[in-house]
Amino acid sequence: MSDEQLQPHSAFRFHGSWQEFARIAFPNLLLTIVTLGIYRFWATTREREYLWSKTDFIDERLEWTGRGMELFIGFIMVLLLIGLPFFGIQLVSQGLIFQGAPMLAGLLTFAMFLSLFYLTGVAYFRALRYRLSRTYWRGIRGGSDDPGFQYGLSYMWKWVVGWLPLFLMVPWAMISLWNDRWNAMSFGPHRFSANAQWTPLMKRYLLFYLVPFLFLGGAVIFGVSMAASGSAPDALGDTGMAVGGVLAVVAVLAFYIIIPLAALAFYSKYFRMAVGGLRLHTLEFAFRARAVDWVLFFLANMAIIICTLGIGYIFMPYRNWKFFVEHMEAYGEINIDELTQSQTVVEKHGEGLLDAFDVGAI
Amino acid sequence: MSAFFDVAHYDGQKAVKRKVEVQVVGSQFYLLENERRTGPFAFSDVAYVTKQGEADVYGLVGHDGWRLILSGPVPSDLKGLLPAPRNYGGWVDRLGLGKAVIAFALTSAAAIAVVLFSPQWLAPLIPDSVDDRLGDALVGDFGGRFCHTPAGDAALQKLVASLDDAPQDLRVEVAKIDMLNAVALPGGNVILFDGLLKQARSPDEVAGVLAHEIGHVREKHVMQALLRQMGLAVVLGGVDGNSGAMVNNMLAMSYSRNAEAEADAYAMKALGSANISPVGTASFFDRLSQLDGSAGVVKDNAGITGYLSSHPLSASRKDAFEKSIVKGKNYKPALTPSEWAELKTMCTQDRKAKSGFGFDFN
Ligand SMILES: [Zn+2]
Repeated sequence: MSDEQLQPHSAFRFHGSWQEFARIAFPNLLLTIVTLGIYRFWATTREREYLWSKTDFIDERLEWTGRGMELFIGFIMVLLLIGLPFFGIQLVSQGLIFQGAPMLAGLLTFAMFLSLFYLTGVAYFRALRYRLSRTYWRGIRGGSDDPGFQYGLSYMWKWVVGWLPLFLMVPWAMISLWNDRWNAMSFGPHRFSANAQWTPLMKRYLLFYLVPFLFLGGAVIFGVSMAASGSAPDALGDTGMAVGGVLAVVAVLAFYIIIPLAALAFYSKYFRMAVGGLRLHTLEFAFRARAVDWVLFFLANMAIIICTLGIGYIFMPYRNWKFFVEHMEAYGEINIDELTQSQTVVEKHGEGLLDAFDVGAI
Repeated sequence: MSAFFDVAHYDGQKAVKRKVEVQVVGSQFYLLENERRTGPFAFSDVAYVTKQGEADVYGLVGHDGWRLILSGPVPSDLKGLLPAPRNYGGWVDRLGLGKAVIAFALTSAAAIAVVLFSPQWLAPLIPDSVDDRLGDALVGDFGGRFCHTPAGDAALQKLVASLDDAPQDLRVEVAKIDMLNAVALPGGNVILFDGLLKQARSPDEVAGVLAHEIGHVREKHVMQALLRQMGLAVVLGGVDGNSGAMVNNMLAMSYSRNAEAEADAYAMKALGSANISPVGTASFFDRLSQLDGSAGVVKDNAGITGYLSSHPLSASRKDAFEKSIVKGKNYKPALTPSEWAELKTMCTQDRKAKSGFGFDFN
């Protein structure tokens, strides 16, 4: 956290305060409860308006122009176009199971799963497009003319290819999809170009991938050496039990601490590579958070949530955005005269698809 | 009359920030920059966009990215002409936070009350044809799992006729499934599972369970539950994910407990008028509740958990049936010993009926 002061020239600056955010988040929580959750679309919008307006890029603040009503309409559309048919399919397949046609029911469920998989991909794409089209800087916005249907197909086959060889190609799928997504986006007259590399990710990924096997191997070696030393468990007596107990505790802790750490180490590298491969005309981007920063960030988040008995959860959008902006960096020059308005289409509805599947940002 | 104000401006075409003067002329205004004058623009086309720190940002309808940025306090002359800032969103801003919260809370409570209570009087209004068609679609021939023998069918028919005045609109079947369960489904369908018949020690016990399920049919509980579930799904649709499902289940559960009590009351009355002793039913519940207490016993018959999960057991339930015994009344057995033997062995005798679910439930 101390290196921010060393880099006063960061293009992105955040100067919000959690006290100010609290004055938005608490009424939001209250209104969301009394409206049985319907207000959450307006709540999200209000939070983004605040976070964007407290974020400087070079010399001007960002502006969030999305509206709660858009998100609400998106949600209703998803409910009618996807929720209702899927509810019907579920009823039908339950009836089929009852009537002894589990094969047909299974087929129907599989088709449902496939289309959900496809729509998840489309949702990721459209959420990014929506966010860019509602983000203004100096009166100029971003967007995309691509509706994302093609991306949905890429999403499906690339993830399948990522999983097939024992999940070893997951980093390729992640990076390749990131590039696909951003290559379709633009800001003002300029198109983003994303050509992040996936091979540098493999070392961290293999580390994460192999951790469980290393544990298993360790346990086997321990067992074998115990057997080789000829000491039956009961001959070991109390000390043997104690040693076993300690080892079990260590194994459990390792499982709950080392595997998440390995996952974070991989994710931090992924995000650095992904953002690092991004260009917009003459601008290049970088994300400076390293694995340690991510770990500290998550530990702090957990501490906040636990210490506030869960209420701190409402500050997570603030924390996430702050972490994101404070580690974002941009290099290069930007010609204000060249930066003209985006000609991309503006969708009237928001992140409905994405909201329904509850997937994360960027 | 005309007045001048200094403001920052983006034209939405280029990212260049301009310092302009607003020249107000009646309900219109011009923007002056050095010698250039643009406009006129109508104040009625101006929309509030967002707050950026101390500055209020206004846009112009139909002009993407067009902005007027008024820093600091807006002069009162201008303030009257510009739209009011948006804070929480339309309705909340108009009512004020406190009043809006109360209004929303009352509306939500009313919506939930309607969804919870309306099925009771809505369910009887659903035409029988809809109910029947739903039952047929759901049950059909149950995948060929219904057991039939002439003597067994006759025994079952006698049992149903003794418990219900209009047995022709009921369809009671025995399914060759080794689960201690019985279900009431739409369209007057009642299914007794073979496992229940095998576990029962007397025809009176089966009569009690059957009367209970007929109670569900006659009180329209199935249609009520269906309507209530659909209503809750709509009303709680705005609540995201887990918390919504939790509230939904809690409300549904409390109502199913109510329905169980109603079905029990119906069963006691039916048993009474059929002159069948409720002792059997009481001891049946007693045995079930003892199984309930020791998970070890449940293990050898997976079916028991089925009845327990759909029919919460309590000592009071057994007591209620015991209390309904009328001392000195001349009860007669629900079936003769030979009829009971035929019913109990119907599924063993009927070799054509398929057994189980055809796949593993776990
Ligand atoms: Zn019941």
